[in-house]
Amino acid sequence: MLFSSVGFLFRFLPIFMIVYLIVPARYCNVILLVGSLVFYGVGEPYFVLLLVLSVLVNFALSRYMFWEPKSPQNNRKKKAAKRRKRALFLALVFDFGALFVFKYWDFAVENVNGLTGNQILPVLSLALPLGISFYTFQMVSYLLDCYWGKISKRAGLVDFATYICMFPQLIAGPIVRYGEVSERMAERRIRIRDLENGLKLFAAGLGLKVLLANQIGTLWNTIMTAGPGNLHVLVAWLGALAYSFQIYFDFWGYSVMAMGLGKMLGFRIPRNFDNPYTSRSIAEFWRRWHITLGSWFKEYVYIPLGGNRKGSARTVFNLFVVWALTGLWHGADWNFLLWGLGFFLVISLEKKTYGKWMEQSSVLGHIYTLLLIPVTWIIFAITDIRQLGAYLVNMAGIHTGGVLVGTGQFVRYLKEYGILLIACVIFITPFPKKWYHKWKDRWFMIIFLLLIFWWSVYEIVVGSNNPFLYFRF
Amino acid sequence: MSRQKIKNWLENVYNCPYLILVVVSSVVAMLCFDEIGIRVFDHNISAERTVSVVGDIVRAEENQTLSEPPVTLEEVQNTGETETEIQNSALENSQENSENAGERKEEVDVIQNTEELNADIQETKIPEIKEEVEKGVTRFLPYEPLEIESRYYSDAGKIALTTEYPYTLANDSYFNDAAFLGDSRTLGIYDYVGLDGADFFCDNGMTIFKLLKDDGVTEQGTGQKVDLKQVLQERHYGKIYMMLGMNELGYGNTTMYMQEYLSVVQQIRAWQPDAIIFIMANLHVSKEKNNMETEFNNININDKNVACARLANGVDIFYLDSNPMFTDSEGFLQAEMTFDGVHLYAKHYDKWRQFLVEHAVEKESSGEVTE
Repeated sequence: MLFSSVGFLFRFLPIFMIVYLIVPARYCNVILLVGSLVFYGVGEPYFVLLLVLSVLVNFALSRYMFWEPKSPQNNRKKKAAKRRKRALFLALVFDFGALFVFKYWDFAVENVNGLTGNQILPVLSLALPLGISFYTFQMVSYLLDCYWGKISKRAGLVDFATYICMFPQLIAGPIVRYGEVSERMAERRIRIRDLENGLKLFAAGLGLKVLLANQIGTLWNTIMTAGPGNLHVLVAWLGALAYSFQIYFDFWGYSVMAMGLGKMLGFRIPRNFDNPYTSRSIAEFWRRWHITLGSWFKEYVYIPLGGNRKGSARTVFNLFVVWALTGLWHGADWNFLLWGLGFFLVISLEKKTYGKWMEQSSVLGHIYTLLLIPVTWIIFAITDIRQLGAYLVNMAGIHTGGVLVGTGQFVRYLKEYGILLIACVIFITPFPKKWYHKWKDRWFMIIFLLLIFWWSVYEIVVGSNNPFLYFRF
Repeated sequence: MSRQKIKNWLENVYNCPYLILVVVSSVVAMLCFDEIGIRVFDHNISAERTVSVVGDIVRAEENQTLSEPPVTLEEVQNTGETETEIQNSALENSQENSENAGERKEEVDVIQNTEELNADIQETKIPEIKEEVEKGVTRFLPYEPLEIESRYYSDAGKIALTTEYPYTLANDSYFNDAAFLGDSRTLGIYDYVGLDGADFFCDNGMTIFKLLKDDGVTEQGTGQKVDLKQVLQERHYGKIYMMLGMNELGYGNTTMYMQEYLSVVQQIRAWQPDAIIFIMANLHVSKEKNNMETEFNNININDKNVACARLANGVDIFYLDSNPMFTDSEGFLQAEMTFDGVHLYAKHYDKWRQFLVEHAVEKESSGEVTE
């Protein structure tokens, strides 16, 4: 189920919230767990079993990690340490094994088969279970936190399962760490103000997703429909800009909706975006973009590898690993690896050479970031390497074929999408967020958010009921 | 419950105007609109609505222009003056149709489903036809139809081929008195084929039902919405190219589509007596986009194509099928030619240009053709 669907907005959410609010506090977590499994199971009737299995396996291993045999033994400490290691190892093998099979198997096999020229291994063509990248990372973070003794009070089965499956963040994050919700998991009061503010936040996120991301996405589609290779340089950049807006508002909108829902349920879900497009360097961009993923890689990969404490050669290697993995986390294809390694290159260069200077000179930093980011998103967006090459070459103003999508179309696109583009530009600045917090209790903002909500619902209904109207050939 | 508690509670309620507004408006909306109300999961609602709307249009039209649709249709087709059994099958009703299809099993290899169709056209049929080009005939190639349970379409059981005719090559000025009417794919022709002299009236989402309505169509080039009724009465065109049918896939049904197409063609004929009308086939979609569980598939598209091809008379109305240039052996739009499975990449419109140039018709009767 998607947040931006009639089924969620007018079926699941009202029924769930009513039940959630009337049951006694001690059953809240059970209700939240059952509700979340229903939420997931409606869209993924089979993979919900995989989710449940993963939760059970991880929970069992987290318990086994600290299991103490009753009878006194020799070498107790040594054996306990060994057991901890074994439990962690098994959990990591299970979690990343499942992720590998479902997400990376075909990619790996196709390349192995391609290299050797034989069909050594079969291509499985498995569907990707929804949210597996996100919930796998949350489980691993819990296991590692347990292993390192960062969690003071370990979760019971229901609490653990609720933490993993909680529907606001199950499908697309943010990646929440157990320490961030453990207090509220044990005890929480839902105040009516939280419901009010959570709902407002949710409406704002819904608007970002439906009214900005989905709409500007059609411009990107239109340009890709014409096809890379024959785009005028202006059109190519307009397309890159449109995609940059689409992916940001889509993901940010989703995260804001998750925060709003979390608030309504009595949790505090960490923010995932902090005006990333106003950064002054790529390193800063990644401190503001998908914050919870960045900090996951920092905490659980970069620092355990030694971070920057083992000399500069090792630091560069660690960065390489982190960025290669970050790239692959986003998708199993070469372009994602290329995308991740692109960040490795740029961020390493920034660290070693011009980064400091760039963050000081505000204007240059902004221009540099705003020029580079759309290029990285193009690498992200186009999985076909030949097409990717053609698009990038167009962005450089070079054409292998003739310019078929030229200034005429560029002007038409601007006419058609001009107002939307201006709205997008306004919403990448910090101002809308400031205005929201400043005026969110004022009547005009309440009416505005109500209009946003219903306008979004209208777009959802029109789009889902009539795909022909939505796509409009 | 103490008075204080109630007072606190009321205060709380006063403090959450947004929550109350959303809840109240949601309840009202769910009571008023089926789309989000109780019956939302009953899939047929939207379909019923669409059909009833279209039904109204068609009924209204029936009272005016479509009083004797079958006769008109036969008139249009009989001017082709050929009596091939293939054309008969186009005229007869669906029962006889299936009989015909049965008879012809001996002639044509039995084709199991549409996916194999284009292969057969290319491999077996086309050479055969080329041997005996019958001027003005629009042939229909039969195959074993699939059972389709849909309110929107059925499997036509045949494929319409380009009207047979000794087409000539278009010269530079040929398209100067041409008008193109269509949806986003015609917009693609405007954008990438580069027929500078022609007028283009097309919009994303355009349908045959909307074409002549007061809302108008965008005239590309000027970017202005124009009323096509007015334009066609005021200007003079030698050729009119039409390509519509994609946005009709989930709207009404194929019979309504054909009736509307016929009425539009008749209307255009009345305003443009000298124009040659080219009915262009709707391009198939890619395998990825082809979805048998919705209305969005090549069988439906073919159904629409067969329907509009039946209007061709080989004298001043021609049917042009450009699908073979772009589809694979199974009749799907080739994956590497498209991003969204529906529209061609800009660079492939070159072929389409060539196709249009190669399918020119010079009017025979006296020097009517302008320029």
